[in-house]
Amino acid sequence: MRVEVRLFGGLEKFVKDVRFGEGFPVDLPEGGRVAELLDRLGIPPSQVFSVLINGRHASLADVLREGDRVALFPPLGGG
Amino acid sequence: MGKIVRVDMTARKVTVEEVPEKYRLLGGRALTSQVVHDEVPPTCHPLGPHNKLVIAPGLLSGTPAPSSGRLSVGGKSPLTGGIKEANAGGISSQKLANLGIRAVVVEGRPQDGGWYLLRLSPEGAELLPADDLAGKGTYEVTKICRERFGDKVGVITIGPAGEMMLSAAGVTNNDPEGNSSRYAGRGGLGAVMGSKRLKAIVVDSPSLFNAPLKEPERFKAAAKRFADILHQHPVTGQGLPAYGTNVLMNIINEAGTLPTRNFRFGRFDKAAEVSGEKLAEVAVARGGLATHACHPGCVMRCSNVYPLPDGRVCAPIEYETAWAFGPNLEIGDLDVIGELNYLCNDLGLDTIETGVTLGVLMEAGVIPFGDGEAAIRLLKEVYQGTPMGRIVGSGAAAAGRIFGVTRVPVVKGQGLPAYDPRACKGNGVTYATSPMGADHTAGYAVTANILKVGGYVDPLKPEGQVELSRNLQIATAFIDSTGLCLFVAFAVLDNPEGLPTILEMINAQYGTSLTVEDAMEMGKRVLKAEREFNLWAGFTRADDRLPEFFTYEPLPPHNTVFDVPGEELDRVFDF
Ligand code: SF4
Repeated sequence: MRVEVRLFGGLEKFVKDVRFGEGFPVDLPEGGRVAELLDRLGIPPSQVFSVLINGRHASLADVLREGDRVALFPPLGGG
Repeated sequence: MGKIVRVDMTARKVTVEEVPEKYRLLGGRALTSQVVHDEVPPTCHPLGPHNKLVIAPGLLSGTPAPSSGRLSVGGKSPLTGGIKEANAGGISSQKLANLGIRAVVVEGRPQDGGWYLLRLSPEGAELLPADDLAGKGTYEVTKICRERFGDKVGVITIGPAGEMMLSAAGVTNNDPEGNSSRYAGRGGLGAVMGSKRLKAIVVDSPSLFNAPLKEPERFKAAAKRFADILHQHPVTGQGLPAYGTNVLMNIINEAGTLPTRNFRFGRFDKAAEVSGEKLAEVAVARGGLATHACHPGCVMRCSNVYPLPDGRVCAPIEYETAWAFGPNLEIGDLDVIGELNYLCNDLGLDTIETGVTLGVLMEAGVIPFGDGEAAIRLLKEVYQGTPMGRIVGSGAAAAGRIFGVTRVPVVKGQGLPAYDPRACKGNGVTYATSPMGADHTAGYAVTANILKVGGYVDPLKPEGQVELSRNLQIATAFIDSTGLCLFVAFAVLDNPEGLPTILEMINAQYGTSLTVEDAMEMGKRVLKAEREFNLWAGFTRADDRLPEFFTYEPLPPHNTVFDVPGEELDRVFDF
């Protein structure tokens, strides 16, 4: 199964040759969860404050599906 | 106990009064809104002699309380026709408080055609002629005033847009480096200041943190605790200092609630190109700063310093502005955004209102979407005061009417900011019901809707949004009265010690024993006074609604409409 990942706010530094906001594919076994995705990318879960799957909030335990758009964010705010 | 400086522009006389007992524990928005409520006839013409411009530091401004230097500016808004409080950073609030000034009330209107400058210093208050400053942009005015009165002064001023009394004109003041970019932008209060023929207020105070404290030791301990609370929260301690407010661009885009092409879509394919991450990269490469404090003593430091290609500096580019001139106009170039931002700062225009207006003009086909050069050209017409320039400076509602546009994103005549109400419904409730008109800060439901701060309420569902918005509007009305930057809310919403610590600081300063309940009562009283003013100014339930197209035009990618029922919106202020 393949998902499309985007990293923001400095999380991109954990993955070689990836720029913030640039979507890249990641292959995971069927039924893979967000936590496994982080593991695969080498991003410590403590650095991830928000996970959005297809524009909706998700948690580390959520199961991913083929073609999902996954966005990972550190703590952020503004207004 | 503090004083109120009353400036009668008709007689060109300044008087200094003791703060009356009933205003003793009011500051910031609570004070500006109460004075407007008590002294301004709600049916008066906003640019006529009976409107007043009220400027007030917050209750904690001018003390060592962290991030407490916010300034409130109030009056009857020429944009909405209702009451207005606009809130700014910059250095003037702390200085006013250190001069013992709790409010400046500007009233009347001179008949002699001249322009004036009000100087406030330890020696007192004096009104000086300022005809030589008329017609000048805010950057130049600020520079001249700093040369004339010392480079530490705070300069509260308006640009040509305010002089022309355009409805989107704001009141600005400067940061520590002298950039006249810290705006009380919303609602056209710059036009009110222009109608009084007051070009600038120079605030000269040798101290910044010496406002009197009843119990200094107790205050110090509480301020220290509050700084710790801000440092410990991931958003106020790490998120805001790292990339500033524009770090929101990407998460709002991913969440599908980034208004794009005049609120047509919820995502913009070039969002990353105009985001905080990109801004930090470019700013640092050009010798600017990714992190900056708008006033001394701010620990969250959400601002930035963005050098434009020709060396002029735009400090800061905030998220709202990056959105208004970026995705909203389908412009994916930070330098164009920076240029439009700089021009607005200099002209004295609210960036949000101007961006929304340009979006409506693009919708009308006056200039094409995505055309940054055309946008810059139109905006520059404001300097000349051409008919088109005046339209650009008069807000989205006026532009929509003039060009026959039905998709005009305004509430109470004020342009919607950077979160689409169809996919961030809590903010939709705030836009619809805030006495200020469409205003994101008045009840920033993005916290629970998108950022998962202060709980979580699904942004795509109507359930729970009214209660969320109500609670935030009450808490915000209180925080806006303290002089604390609203961004402290990120930490305060998640930390049960947050509000009690704010109260501890206020109690140590004023010798009071206010509780958290009292604080919420103060928030409610502020909202009630504002609602009452609006009622007498002619607002009805129909004014507490979003523009119709949000209820029938689904927003991609979630394809939702705004569906919080009207009867529920009418219950926001049931308290
Ligand atoms: S957080 Fe930002 S806007 Fe608020 S006081 Fe600090 S620098 Fe100013």
